Amino acid sequence: MVSLLRTIRSMRRVGLREWWRQMQYIGDAKSGRYVGADQFGNRYYENLNPEEEVPGRHRWVDYSQHYYNATQVPPEWHSWLQHIRKDPPAEDPIVQQVTPSWKAPWIENLTGTRGAYKPYNTVVPKIQAWEPKVTSRGA
Amino acid sequence: MSFARPRLLVGLQPYIRVISRPPSLHASFQARRLLSSSTSYRAQPSPHHHSAAVTNAKDIDPYKDGPSALDKAVHIFFFTEIIRGMWVVLENFFRPPYTIMYPFEKGPLSPRFRGEHALRRYPSGEERCIACKLCEAICPAQAITIESEAREDGSRKTTKYDIDMTKCIYCGFCQEACPVDAIVETQNQEFSTETREELLYNKEKLLANGDKYEAEIAANLHSEHVYR
Repeated sequence: MVSLLRTIRSMRRVGLREWWRQMQYIGDAKSGRYVGADQFGNRYYENLNPEEEVPGRHRWVDYSQHYYNATQVPPEWHSWLQHIRKDPPAEDPIVQQVTPSWKAPWIENLTGTRGAYKPYNTVVPKIQAWEPKVTSRGA
Repeated sequence: MSFARPRLLVGLQPYIRVISRPPSLHASFQARRLLSSSTSYRAQPSPHHHSAAVTNAKDIDPYKDGPSALDKAVHIFFFTEIIRGMWVVLENFFRPPYTIMYPFEKGPLSPRFRGEHALRRYPSGEERCIACKLCEAICPAQAITIESEAREDGSRKTTKYDIDMTKCIYCGFCQEACPVDAIVETQNQEFSTETREELLYNKEKLLANGDKYEAEIAANLHSEHVYR
């Protein structure tokens, strides 16, 4: 059970509709500052008031997909969400500076689907199977 | 072993003293502290213990400062310990939960966290690895396999760079050994797979990881550059 006052306060702030969505996904009523969204539409929030959110629970993500999964967060936002970096990627000068032009698009963990990674050998195998060759008897 | 057992209201004494302090504390904070008998969910400074100097070891009466036998008997027969314990349970019932609701909220990670491996590229797009095989040599679990060849332009590059992630113990020696910061461990810990084969990473997979993670890796290395 969550704190009743906290639930009512969050409910009043975010509205009934958003509160219902939160209860379906996060399972807890939360309210805070909207920080930004990534390219997949996942929305990120923050509440730094220790009276409202227990420190450690002060950053959260609202996944855009129903079948959510922790790897749907792209790396830049992942480092914000896991408190590695203080600022969100759009406002972080260092992240902006070191992002290369050849950065590959983010793909979530596709294990269990047909897109899953399959290991393969990148060199010519050292052992070749014997292939019998018939030579003519030279009649 | 101490028999000093606080009376039922003794737990309130430090909080009653709080009121007499200058009114710098928040009013609601005080109200909550007054009701509460358990410790705060945030860290508080521990009270300063004043130890009395022992003057004469012979005259020590261990029960002098403690409650009387009657007091102790009252606490035993009226189950005050159980009631106080149940009060702690009840007040935590109305407090916000500590539980981190993964994957919506995540716990803090260090920029030095050692997770999934990645092979990096230079900003020009050229791959960094020079096939020196130091990581292969230092790997305690012998999880890395490298084969190399000279390319047409004369530079030595790997043709095979396999990491068996099922063998890897995530010690981080490979990234410490690497002279060109090519092999790094990213902060990704969410690479669990359904089958075992998917954890046998080859060079293409590691380079693809590096291409996806480069911004995060480079930002972390930048934050750590003072200590390296």
